Amino acid sequence: MRAAWLPKLGSQPLPPWISFQRQAPRRPDISLFGATQGFRRGAVVGTRRFATSSTRNGIAAPEISFELKDDQKGIPRYARVVPASPSYFTGKPDFTDNLLSLQELLRKHQTLPAAPPGQVPRIAWKTLAQYRLLVGEPVKASKYHKIILLLQRLNHIHPSLLPEEVKLAMAPYKRDINPHENVANQHTADRFGRVIGVGRRKSSTARVWLVEGDGEVLVNGRPLISTFPRVHDRESAIWALKATGRIDKYNVWALVEGGGTTGQAEALTLGVAKALLVHEPSLKPALRRAGCITRDPRRVERKKPGKLKARKMPAWVKR
Amino acid sequence: MLRCSPSIHPGSRLFSTTPAFLANPIKAKRPDPNSSGPQKGVKSLKIKKKNTLRSAGRPPAPGERKALRKRIVLSNTNALEVKGMQDLSNDNMADKQIQGTVVGLPGPLVDQLRAAEAFRTGQGWGLFRRPGVLMRENSLEIARDLQDVVSGKKTLRRIYTGERGSGKSVVLLQAIAMAFLKDWVVVTIPEASQNRIAQDLTNAHTEYAPLSSSTTTPSQYVQRAYTASLLSRISKANSAVLSDLKVSLSHKLRIPIQPGTSLSHLADLGVRDPDIAWPIFQALWGELTSTKAARPPIMLTLDGLGHIMRDSQYRDPAFKPIHAHDLTIARHFVDHLSGVRSLPNGGAVLAATSASNVPFAPSLALAIDQRLHPTTSASSPSPSSSSSLSSSQQMPVWRKPVQRNPFMTYDERVLQSITPDLEIVELQGLTREEARGLMEYYAASGMLRHRVDESFVTEKWTIAGGGIVGEIEKASVMGPRV
Repeated sequence: MRAAWLPKLGSQPLPPWISFQRQAPRRPDISLFGATQGFRRGAVVGTRRFATSSTRNGIAAPEISFELKDDQKGIPRYARVVPASPSYFTGKPDFTDNLLSLQELLRKHQTLPAAPPGQVPRIAWKTLAQYRLLVGEPVKASKYHKIILLLQRLNHIHPSLLPEEVKLAMAPYKRDINPHENVANQHTADRFGRVIGVGRRKSSTARVWLVEGDGEVLVNGRPLISTFPRVHDRESAIWALKATGRIDKYNVWALVEGGGTTGQAEALTLGVAKALLVHEPSLKPALRRAGCITRDPRRVERKKPGKLKARKMPAWVKR
Repeated sequence: MLRCSPSIHPGSRLFSTTPAFLANPIKAKRPDPNSSGPQKGVKSLKIKKKNTLRSAGRPPAPGERKALRKRIVLSNTNALEVKGMQDLSNDNMADKQIQGTVVGLPGPLVDQLRAAEAFRTGQGWGLFRRPGVLMRENSLEIARDLQDVVSGKKTLRRIYTGERGSGKSVVLLQAIAMAFLKDWVVVTIPEASQNRIAQDLTNAHTEYAPLSSSTTTPSQYVQRAYTASLLSRISKANSAVLSDLKVSLSHKLRIPIQPGTSLSHLADLGVRDPDIAWPIFQALWGELTSTKAARPPIMLTLDGLGHIMRDSQYRDPAFKPIHAHDLTIARHFVDHLSGVRSLPNGGAVLAATSASNVPFAPSLALAIDQRLHPTTSASSPSPSSSSSLSSSQQMPVWRKPVQRNPFMTYDERVLQSITPDLEIVELQGLTREEARGLMEYYAASGMLRHRVDESFVTEKWTIAGGGIVGEIEKASVMGPRV
């Protein structure tokens, strides 16, 4: 809790998130509440020590010293501690403050021209869980959504006209790493004409080197047939080439590790497709239709306590 | 409970308070045998299974199922006759023109091959109208080699090895077929047959006995029943040739052999009486390798070499395993394969390893590996310097140098039997042209309903791991097996 001495309230400049001026006419001053309704009355005791052990010093904030300092000599002894922000009484003060300040900002700058839809910078805002950690309050998703809407509206202000205070205000709500700025590395063919592509599926990883050739395939230094005895797996491994009719145009040299046969074969699918895209970028729609672009994110579901496997329940026994 | 006891005065009753347990116990109800209700203490829950299959007829007789499994079907009446298909003959067998085409096997030859048990199940013979074989590079090579054998009276000694489905057994069959066409005498020890299996030679399924005449150590063992079946195979498959050849040597046998007896009849004597099958076989072999009379070259083949390159399942009187080389027939073959015994009239000794029915024979694997990838001339892995690999170039494959496993015990007899002058041929995949010829045959037979073009052939060739012929067949004709 932010606390301030009431008598000093008038002389000190208010922090920007406090909007007393606006609220003052509508509700009584916070100090007018009776002393019995406010903070603990023990404050008046002054010199009494509340700590019961010395170890407490290590884990808790230091006790409030109610001894008067020199510059406070003239202040009456029986003063109450009042919150720095009236939002204190909303239960979620930081959230409320944040919301109000953003609303204030928007009100101030809403007349600024907006950027055309395609040119709005893409920003990843903090997730609800991250925001809750930040403020330490049980903020509801719907409430946080209000903040997100405000942020999005502020973000729509034309970048060239975006005021500095809006930039500063938006900064704490941005994620530390903006995934939208993450651009995939552009692979190119090396001096031998080889292109590497990496594919994953289940727990397998495949590294594929694709080179122009005539349909020879070596996986882990062995022919396709000894790596994958099943015809289906062999077809999966070169599916990207087969679906685009390029089997006789390229040679594949691949290293696969981890997982089982199916996972390895389907990891190869993805790796071959990625490498093929470097050779022929225009094949992307065809490869997407063939299902060779999207990584299948499914993994083995974890086992849970009380279950035999991930979902299987033990057999019902009468007693 | 109150009990009314029989009173002295009939009609009146005494009142008694005797406890109930003094009363005669009530007899338990006997279960009614006629009632169909559940009996007490007996679990009676019966969940009826749907569609319980009741066996309608009698169960198959012993051996019937196996006969069905081992049946060799050589024809499919639903398949189309391939027009313009040549037959394998003496004239065209070494012709470069027929490389990559499928040639038919003429009817009498098929009978001979069947008698020699050269066909195996699972080779896809039953998919086509009549048996045909693809003339690949190795087929033409063996045809040329057989011609050289005839002209030079040499002995061709060779082992075929390669991946599963790479066509080892079929190349062996082609060699046998060519030998039949050239009127050679063919002696086959097939890997799997209806009656006697090659692994039967060593897996202790046929009876055996020590060879009384053997003085060597370790002692030799003879398999009379197997020898009789071998003689029967020789006699049936080579009847045309053997019936023309007459006995020329004098043999000391238990039964008298008339001079002028045909060799076919000589073999039949051994078939009839297994007790003398082995002496008869020796006599027959003596006749065939005799230089006194005109004798044709001999072809000796064995499929599934691994089975005779290790200890057999037989036991000697001390209950120690008998080495396969101490069995007379296996010894006979190995001696010819390694060149200990020669064929003076020329001939070929061919063996094929098996990759689907592989016995644990590390010594043979080591010997073959060392021969195929000698450490002395092993080239170091070199990065490809050219920008792209051309079709003629093989992708460089780095192999570990073949060395003995220090934790394995190797069989020196086996290692010595793979002599340096014994040829070892590793069958690779088909070339694309050969694969195309094969697929055109499939399409002409109506078994493959797809246009055979460049991309289709390459696709199947790649999926078949670089033209492994068995896999090409699986991928294009047999369809998915669920």
